[in-house]
Amino acid sequence: MDSTSSSLDFAIIGHQDSWQTITSFINTLRKPDLPELSIEQTKKVFPFIPPREIYKIDVTSATGRKVKGAYIETFIEPDKLTAEYARKNVCKVMKAIALATKIGAKIVTLGGFTSIVLEGKVAALNEGRTHFTTGNTLTAAFIVKAVEKAACQKGFQLGKSNVLIIGATGDIGIACMDYFKNKVGQLLLCARNKSRLQQVSNSVMGEQIQYKSSVFLDELIAEADVIIGVASSSNINLAGCKPGVLICDAGYPKNMDAAFENNALNDLFHGGMGQVKGGYSFMPDYSKEVYSFPVPHVAYGCTLEAVVLALESKYEAYSFGKGNITVDNMEKMYSLCQKHGITLSPFYNSSGLCKMKGEEAINF
Amino acid sequence: MEALEPLQLTLEETNVITDIFSQAITGELIGMSNFASLADTIDDPYEKMEAVEHANSERNHAEGFMHYAKKNGLKTNINLNSIYWGNVRKQFLSYAHKKNFIACLIIQEVMLESFAVAMYTDVAHALGGKAGDLFLRIAEEEKEHLEHSSDILRAALERNPEAFVNKFEEIHFNCMTILSEFTATTDLRGHCGVCNGDCMKGSLHHIGLDIETLRGNALALYAQSLDDIGIPGEKSIVWIARLPA
Ligand SMILES: NC(=O)c1ccc[n+]([C@@H]2O[C@H](COP(=O)([O-])OP(=O)(O)OC[C@H]3O[C@@H](n4cnc5c(N)ncnc54)[C@H](OP(=O)(O)O)[C@@H]3O)[C@@H](O)[C@H]2O)c1
Repeated sequence: MDSTSSSLDFAIIGHQDSWQTITSFINTLRKPDLPELSIEQTKKVFPFIPPREIYKIDVTSATGRKVKGAYIETFIEPDKLTAEYARKNVCKVMKAIALATKIGAKIVTLGGFTSIVLEGKVAALNEGRTHFTTGNTLTAAFIVKAVEKAACQKGFQLGKSNVLIIGATGDIGIACMDYFKNKVGQLLLCARNKSRLQQVSNSVMGEQIQYKSSVFLDELIAEADVIIGVASSSNINLAGCKPGVLICDAGYPKNMDAAFENNALNDLFHGGMGQVKGGYSFMPDYSKEVYSFPVPHVAYGCTLEAVVLALESKYEAYSFGKGNITVDNMEKMYSLCQKHGITLSPFYNSSGLCKMKGEEAINF
Repeated sequence: MEALEPLQLTLEETNVITDIFSQAITGELIGMSNFASLADTIDDPYEKMEAVEHANSERNHAEGFMHYAKKNGLKTNINLNSIYWGNVRKQFLSYAHKKNFIACLIIQEVMLESFAVAMYTDVAHALGGKAGDLFLRIAEEEKEHLEHSSDILRAALERNPEAFVNKFEEIHFNCMTILSEFTATTDLRGHCGVCNGDCMKGSLHHIGLDIETLRGNALALYAQSLDDIGIPGEKSIVWIARLPA
């Protein structure tokens, strides 16, 4: 029963994206006899709690192989993800890392914001028998493959399309750029920091690629046929985009959902997501409280990277740092997913399963 | 805040500092009495001697606080039968009478000491000066008790994990519920019976503290202590979520 004695194939370090989710989870633990806590009451206790293992996860591969993992919650406050809280957040992530090592997880993924606060520096953590990955290779692979699939369904020819990447200088943004650079009509690259954007743009210069870059989204958006959102900002302004533009929103907090609500002419889906055909389960079963997807067995690309590495007994920092993701590694990781029955998630957004313009709900 | 000099303090500051000392002295005397009761009930001579030693250590802490309060003219109020402290003591005695050494250790050394270490540390940083040094020194000593008991409790957990965790859960709800009510933002059971005037929780801002942070840091240290002992996180999160807010 001592959690230190169990051996786990993988662990996921994560955080919640709203106080609502945290409060509803805590209130589930208080059921059926205790009064519900308000968000304000939850905020007074849970930011103080050190990272801890919340539930175990069993995942089954299409090959029949099963792996066991654990979810470690960092209790990073969803409204405190900005740079001014960096020290506190790094401290929480480091405590979660120590816990993952203590419980003996063989491969650990740093989900969502937890790898961003460490700037992807997971390679240095890979000592002993616990290894760490950011999970960004599979996230990027899911994004680009889903964009190809959705474009095909919409009858877009990517080879003639303008693909805008918002967050182009980030780890996932650079990977998307590398993947699409010889496959699309034109790349449109956007990020706020001018010198970093210049640096990334320079890397494609001279490669016979059509591209434009700008720190101002409104200078690029009107030309885009496809938009990939991989920034870490919410409420990115989509004003001026073409009617019918295809949008893959893969950033957190959700980059474009709010803007999209008033923009029903376009097709938006949440990107970077996969689905485990063999299924997975939680113990204790908190799926009702923590599972928010419209179809079963959907999971984040970054968490599934740890699952795939565990299924392959490949305990290594597959994704680390920034700008190290190769197209070759994305393809390899994606084909390992296929082997284990882990596919692209059905297209969905915050309103549920996507109905692409003029079509029935798309299900794969 | 510099060394405690009552003449340089406002009335509000003096009142809240007096209440803090009253709570600290009462808490240490409860600890002393708990260990003295425990010594009386256990047969193992080594455990008996250890209990007496611990009682003496808590007594020294109480004396340290009393000495300081007297020297600085703080009119402290000591009340071992006050509602929260009295109930914690009752809980402790119920296990001591059953000669349950491990349960007593859990209440005194994990629950009460986690709260003492965290709160003394926060108070020390807020007060600074000699008062701060005193709280910090005592917090350090209490921390040693906490660490020492963790070793014993880890070994007990390894001997019979399921029974240990079940017992711990029972004690958690019996005892931590009282401590959570005690440290809730508002007094859930009326006046505590130790503070001189109104509940000091509403006046902590006069010395740069607030009850939410004090309680949050205390719960954090308690959660950390549970981890160190080896209580699975998926259990402790439920235990903490089910405490009064
Ligand atoms: N679906 C999944 O499974 C999954 C997994 C991992 C990560 N993610 C999400 O994917 C996103 C990217 O992750 P990452 O690791 O690549 O992060 P990253 O390395 O920090 O990159 C974020 C990028 O966004 C840019 N950016 C931020 N705000 C912007 C704005 N308002 N307009 C334009 N660009 C902006 C940043 O550059 P500037 O600061 O210069 O603007 C940077 O280029 C994150 O939101 C993350 O949460 C999703």
